[in-house]
Amino acid sequence: MTPLAQSLAFGILVGGLYGLAAVGLSLVFGVTKFLNVAHGELLMLGGYAGFWFFTLWGVDPFLSLPIVVACLVLMGLVLYKLLFSRMVKLSEENKIKNTLLVGFGLSLIFQNLALRLWTADDRGITTSYSGQAFTVLGVRFPMVRVASLGIALVCLLALHLFLHRTYTGKAIRATVQDWEAATLMGIDIHKVYLLSFVLGAALAGVAGALVSVGYSIQPTMGLEWTLIALVVMVLGGLGSIPGTLVGGLILGVTQSLTSYWIGGTYREIVALLLFLVVLVVRPQGLFGSKEG
Amino acid sequence: MSGKRLVVIALVIAGLALLTVLPVLVQSDSIINLAILALLYIALASSWNVLGGYTGQTNLGHAAFFGLGSLTTRLLWLSVGWPLPLSLLAGGVVAVVFALLVGAPAFKLRGVYFAIGTLALAQVLNMTVGNMFPMITSLPAEYLATYQLAPRYYLFLGLALLTVGTAYVLVHSRLGLGMMAVREEEEAAESLGVSAFRHKLLALSVSAFFAGLTGGAFAFYHVGYYPQFPFGPVWTFDSMMMAYIGGTGTIIGPIIGAVFFVVAKELLALNLLELHLTVFGTLFILVVLFLPGGLVEAWGRIRRVLARRARAREVRLASPEQASGHQTVVGL
Amino acid sequence: MRARISIGIVIAIVLSMLAAQCPPPATPTEIPPTKAVEPTKAPEVKPTEVPKATEVPKPPAPEAIDIGASIPLTGKYGALGAMVKPGYEFAVTHINAAGGVYVKAFDKKIPLRLTIYDDESDPTKAVSKLETLYSDKKVVAYLGGAGSDMHAATAAIAEKNKVPYLGIAFALYQIHQKGYKYLFSPFPKSPAQARDVYEILNAEIPEGQRPKKVAIFQEKTDWGIELGGLWKENAPKYGYEVVVYEEYAPRSADFSDIILKAKAAGAEALFAVPSPPDGLAIQKQMAELGWTPKFTLMIRAPENVSWGETLGKTGDYVTIFPGWHNAEKFPGVDKLNAAYQAEFGRPADLLTGPAYACVQILADAITRAGTLDRDAIRDAIAATNMTTVVGPVTFNADGTGKVLNPLIQWQNGKLELVWPKDQASAKLLYPAPPFDKR
Repeated sequence: MTPLAQSLAFGILVGGLYGLAAVGLSLVFGVTKFLNVAHGELLMLGGYAGFWFFTLWGVDPFLSLPIVVACLVLMGLVLYKLLFSRMVKLSEENKIKNTLLVGFGLSLIFQNLALRLWTADDRGITTSYSGQAFTVLGVRFPMVRVASLGIALVCLLALHLFLHRTYTGKAIRATVQDWEAATLMGIDIHKVYLLSFVLGAALAGVAGALVSVGYSIQPTMGLEWTLIALVVMVLGGLGSIPGTLVGGLILGVTQSLTSYWIGGTYREIVALLLFLVVLVVRPQGLFGSKEG
Repeated sequence: MSGKRLVVIALVIAGLALLTVLPVLVQSDSIINLAILALLYIALASSWNVLGGYTGQTNLGHAAFFGLGSLTTRLLWLSVGWPLPLSLLAGGVVAVVFALLVGAPAFKLRGVYFAIGTLALAQVLNMTVGNMFPMITSLPAEYLATYQLAPRYYLFLGLALLTVGTAYVLVHSRLGLGMMAVREEEEAAESLGVSAFRHKLLALSVSAFFAGLTGGAFAFYHVGYYPQFPFGPVWTFDSMMMAYIGGTGTIIGPIIGAVFFVVAKELLALNLLELHLTVFGTLFILVVLFLPGGLVEAWGRIRRVLARRARAREVRLASPEQASGHQTVVGL
Repeated sequence: MRARISIGIVIAIVLSMLAAQCPPPATPTEIPPTKAVEPTKAPEVKPTEVPKATEVPKPPAPEAIDIGASIPLTGKYGALGAMVKPGYEFAVTHINAAGGVYVKAFDKKIPLRLTIYDDESDPTKAVSKLETLYSDKKVVAYLGGAGSDMHAATAAIAEKNKVPYLGIAFALYQIHQKGYKYLFSPFPKSPAQARDVYEILNAEIPEGQRPKKVAIFQEKTDWGIELGGLWKENAPKYGYEVVVYEEYAPRSADFSDIILKAKAAGAEALFAVPSPPDGLAIQKQMAELGWTPKFTLMIRAPENVSWGETLGKTGDYVTIFPGWHNAEKFPGVDKLNAAYQAEFGRPADLLTGPAYACVQILADAITRAGTLDRDAIRDAIAATNMTTVVGPVTFNADGTGKVLNPLIQWQNGKLELVWPKDQASAKLLYPAPPFDKR
């Protein structure tokens, strides 16, 4: 029983991280219809930011999160003003297409620059408490992973509250529903887009910093995490934050249980197959709204 | 305008003639290899464009067809011993069969969901093949000894021509109109009696068949590779990027995009050891930002600007008083 | 206005591409744009000889001997490639500093000219780069990159083009069983790694304390399968038992279940060949799940300096068969270490020595061949019998080398050579203390 429970525990712990990685992309896509496939690279930058703060100045990776957020907010600002703001006026179809292309170019640039600056070596953060775990009912919960899950949940909750309880948040949601009507109601679309984009980048950065503590980072990790974010985003259903969290948890748990029951070489395959089955049964994702 | 058409046709014929004698003209293997890569991508990007550009269904699983074609051909040709043409054809057929199998459930999904769904499906295939065939597949020694580049070049040339030609014929037929109707406004098309599902399935099959054939050619061309390799998502993304950059929804777009992509990347890689990808990415973004309709549109704009200038010049020459409002010397 | 900007940019792009296409002028002082090592031109004193009527004039010597390499400098093997490249470059610099390689056919020393391309850890790109080297630079020999799957693809090209190929940083033995004549690798292969670990354990550890129960985490790639199978096969011969044999796909990220299986089976030793991200994940998760094998052999992941930097104490006690270590006492190692220290701030990395040796072997072979004919060079390489920075090297008929297979261990954040004893810089530390007690 214990190994099964242990697998389950690990699956949940990583699933939360998947959800966090996806929610930034989901927010950006939902609001602006930009499909930024360089999202994984933003995550990678967050990872390196956390790593360097730890390695150079000894800042604990959880304490440096606000600084990482600041860095990614700055990056998001620069990217938006420089590149993505030019695509606001395009039709939805062209928006997706062009941001896909720009994201592709950006991912090449970021990967290559990261490689030049920080070498291809795999890095990670190992703190003094990294190996420690507390045991509940025979199941070991590594402290670092529990903390990561905690942070992910806090971020998701904060985002949810922001979107539903604050005026700006409601403005964002109004833009998602009908941007023309939102404009008519006096909402500045450009500010909403900018805010969403920057928020998405910040969330990616936090996810990246958590990845560097729990796993390892390297310049080429972006694609893998972008794919995870895309799958989780669609699985949970576009525009639903609880959905993204649930999607991430399902993905993580399926991977772990598959590894336990069937074998390590099938973990990704079965998880994706499950994803496909869900999509066929519910084409709009688990919690997504049926769009026309 | 027919004078212009003649010029275009003459250019195309000249270009084809050049391509046909390229291996004889150019003794450098590396240029032939580059040309093969460009032709491969022309075929892949054009086949993607049939479904993605003309029918409006963004298929992120194109690599699955490419991979299935290459796996089938390699196995049949090397392990089972079938003759090459049959193995190639089988590769295309297997890809189509797969496409038909997944087409029905896949087309229940729309937009982003379809895109990510096809991506997930291709990834499933990618990883399964990686598990089933982890060992490298190498040409046996006797094939290595008699390996010649020219036949492979001609295979890819023929394949690219066939793919582009089929796309051209398809797009200019009624079926093509139906596909574009589905792309523009699916419900409206349905209401006019155009079966969206059938057209999408047709586009998917054509797309899959040629991607599968290209995969088969890949299997014939490469000396040693991992069977999983052609299933990788990078093949889909590259083809898609080429089609977008060149201009989706046109026949020549994927061709221009593929050539641009391959040539630019190779030149940069050979000349800038360290930063070639950074420069390529920047170049890419610049093209996207400043040429939003793709390179085809850029060419169209150049032509329009030139035409406008020509017309303006004609107007000035014809009636200088009208054009400038006062007497001017004719001929300026 | 926007149209003009667009047109201007298009024209600029086209022009720059055309300009980039212009072949560099073939002057003797050409600096190849891809970080090739420039031959140092020592002033030649030509003896004023009047050629005798019966003497056949020597053909004009080429200004340099062209050799080429396709190395993964980016992508998943980038970290390995970064260790290989300086090895080649330093060797070429040192050889050229002495004037170059003596070639009897021209009766003079000719400098080596090395062209390196980045293949982005993509076997297909590596193949095309090698083809470019063959058709454009007309290289007389290839130097390999890094990674078993990369070499599996590139070795076939060397065979097809009939160009001698010296490659290291791969242990896949299968490649050598295809009857290739042009492939040479002065680097330990799977059979040596599968045998030596048991022999070392039996030699170093008294009978009662040996980690008899072995867990093998087999990566689902051709090298992983090959070596995993060999480890399993050899175990009973040396008195060991494989209690856990688990497969995983590369980039798995979560190894908790196979670690738990190993823990439950009471495994005392772990053998694995993980890539760096997988290795880091495995080691971290072993610490989190509270399983410390008494002996760990991991090939590949811990070979980089960043292993110690990232893991700290958690990364200690892990052993590796990397093929070489900079504490070895062979001639030339000190010079290599000094050059490496000057450029990178530390003595030579684990793959740098074998890379250096490849160029040493090649230069020696060219001298013995006396010509720049590829087949003659190939035969000369096959007959190699020299001492390089990796020690004495001779080749078997299948192209594998009879070379030293040292065992390295991470101790206190440093890589120490622990076996063979006469080269060792430290003693093998066994058993490994549990992670939480470090």
